[in-house]
Amino acid sequence: MVGMKDAVSGIQETFGDKIQRVELVRDIPVLSIAKTDLPAVALHIHSAPSLQGTLSLQWAADLRPRLAAYRIYYLFTLDGGAWLILQTDLQGDDRLFPSITPRIQAAKWYEREIRDLFGLVAAGHPDLRRLVRHEHWPKGTHPLKKDFPWNYIMGRQDGEYRFRHIEGEGVFEVPVGPIHAGIIEPGHFRFSVAGEPIMMLEVRHFWKHRGIEKLFENFGLMEGVPLAEKVSGDTAFGHSLCYGQAVESLLGMEIPLRARYLRSLFLELERLHNHIGDVGAICNDAAYSVALAHCGRMKERIMQLNDALTGSRFLRGLNRVGGLSMDLSEDQLNTVVLQINAVEQDFAELSRIIFNNASLTDRLETTGILKERTARDHGVMGVVGRASDIDRDIRRDRPFAAYDRLRFKVPLYRYGDVRARMRVRIDEVGESIDLIRQVRAAMTPGPVTVPVVAAATPGDWALSAVEGWRGEILYFVMAGDDGKIHRCKVRDPSFVIWPAIQFAVLGNIIPDFPLINKSFNLSYAGTDL
Amino acid sequence: MFRIIQKSLKTGQVTGQYPAPTQPQPDVSDAVREKASVFGRSLTIREVDTGSCNGCEMEMNALMNPVYDAERFGIHIAASPRHADALVVTGPVTVNMERALKDVHAATPDPKLVIALGDCACDCGMFKGSYAVTGPVERHIPVDVKITGCPPRPSEILDALLKLQGRKP
Repeated sequence: MVGMKDAVSGIQETFGDKIQRVELVRDIPVLSIAKTDLPAVALHIHSAPSLQGTLSLQWAADLRPRLAAYRIYYLFTLDGGAWLILQTDLQGDDRLFPSITPRIQAAKWYEREIRDLFGLVAAGHPDLRRLVRHEHWPKGTHPLKKDFPWNYIMGRQDGEYRFRHIEGEGVFEVPVGPIHAGIIEPGHFRFSVAGEPIMMLEVRHFWKHRGIEKLFENFGLMEGVPLAEKVSGDTAFGHSLCYGQAVESLLGMEIPLRARYLRSLFLELERLHNHIGDVGAICNDAAYSVALAHCGRMKERIMQLNDALTGSRFLRGLNRVGGLSMDLSEDQLNTVVLQINAVEQDFAELSRIIFNNASLTDRLETTGILKERTARDHGVMGVVGRASDIDRDIRRDRPFAAYDRLRFKVPLYRYGDVRARMRVRIDEVGESIDLIRQVRAAMTPGPVTVPVVAAATPGDWALSAVEGWRGEILYFVMAGDDGKIHRCKVRDPSFVIWPAIQFAVLGNIIPDFPLINKSFNLSYAGTDL
Repeated sequence: MFRIIQKSLKTGQVTGQYPAPTQPQPDVSDAVREKASVFGRSLTIREVDTGSCNGCEMEMNALMNPVYDAERFGIHIAASPRHADALVVTGPVTVNMERALKDVHAATPDPKLVIALGDCACDCGMFKGSYAVTGPVERHIPVDVKITGCPPRPSEILDALLKLQGRKP
């Protein structure tokens, strides 16, 4: 655990006047650094034993026309959950910034993404193939530049994505996707195998890139919630909450206590139905379809409860900037607790049966191990992280909504296999149910929304985090002119965890890949944006 | 083994325990119903996501759970378009998925039906006009049935499919 002040003064001592400026933006220290000094400072924060910072997010913003510069931000989460931001400016026609990927693995996809969306090149990056822009996008299309029109009609060019190859006797490649088995989102997986074990997997995504971050810039700060709900449909409440919180903190709004409690309640409902569904789906991929049927039934029960309470099975249309669009009556709250108690008993019975099934355990144990070191290097958190001994949970580390008033345990497992990921989910189901009961007991009457009075200064920004059911959701919102959004960076936890899955499958056999993939259950839509 | 059977017996039957669909869906035209009649009382679906938020996928998955149990109406999900009678397409068709959608349509044997599922597939929804979107689906392949909603509830999807099969007027 490091104190924020000690961390910043320690860095200043080490680097002297290389740290050009230190400012506090809504209690987050922001260090401005010249681009040439940046890799050294970033590496220090990443590896100094007293800091052990994880790169949680790296993103760019086009600050033209206000400043003739692009700015690149690096968000580090220090040991214990404190945040620290580094920023560097690329002035004028400068399009090069030094890559930190050679020393900090977690930056790998972020720097490729920045290159595709802004045309800024990470010099020294070991892999500068296109990520978001597939090969048929014409040269020079960088959609997040301010002079790129949001409704641009793109031409098509020829091009080929060069997969990495392993060559040798008996080695062959198995391409899967983008349209692959079952009812699932599109993604491409390229396996290199010799016999059955996987020697290499390359994930190629961004088939679903819809231009969400650009579309945000068409909206006013107050209007972004419906779009945030469509970033990843299964996490509609988590994303809209995170967006709402970012704007609320930008406008300095205090959210009433009742709304904060209700937000926790809905977030836990979302976690519940997703986790229960995932447990069933993992069992199903091990050919245990009776468990899927039971989990599907319980999941459906919660989704019907959502629908009855709010008119949306996905809890859409609830969040708004300043609180919630509706309140729950006493009767409704009692119904929630009644239903949740029934699901608790039902699910506890089922999970006992699941864990007593030896043939299932045999499939789950030691399958798809994500080592703690690999997870840490990639900045993995959330359910997947907690199954690999990464003890991070935003609800506990940076409490939002009403979590500072609620008690819960954060499950932690060391093995990093499919079974550990399932156990984390099963434990969290129990915790969520308990949290909902606590919310019910603690709630007091009051308003659920506050009116918006202030306006944001152009160029001002805020960052917010929510522990969605997959893991940390991050939103960076920068205000523009006339109450518009200048830049909105969206990060679903899936974006961070996808590269790590490439390591978790090594040595496993291809028929186990669906099982491993299901135990991660990452969002394709939230990654592709 | 006995415990799970015991649990299933204790639970009893849950199929059909859902509220009736409230959002009215447009009627299926006689021509399309005629086209669907060749599949008789079974329909094998390949679901194709061309850029949805995955809400529609969740509801399609829910359609196969014991509560809705679309299998009881002969509705199956196929893993390959080559086994499919109908394509269910979700999402606004992104530039990156355009070619894959056309390929999958070509790979589906004739006669075939195309069902556009959700507002995005029907008219691009919130993503209309974006540089990364080329849809809606009917711009690229002929669409026979449109199911609107964001996302449509499983009961509404089931209702539309039953109309298509001629099981419902």
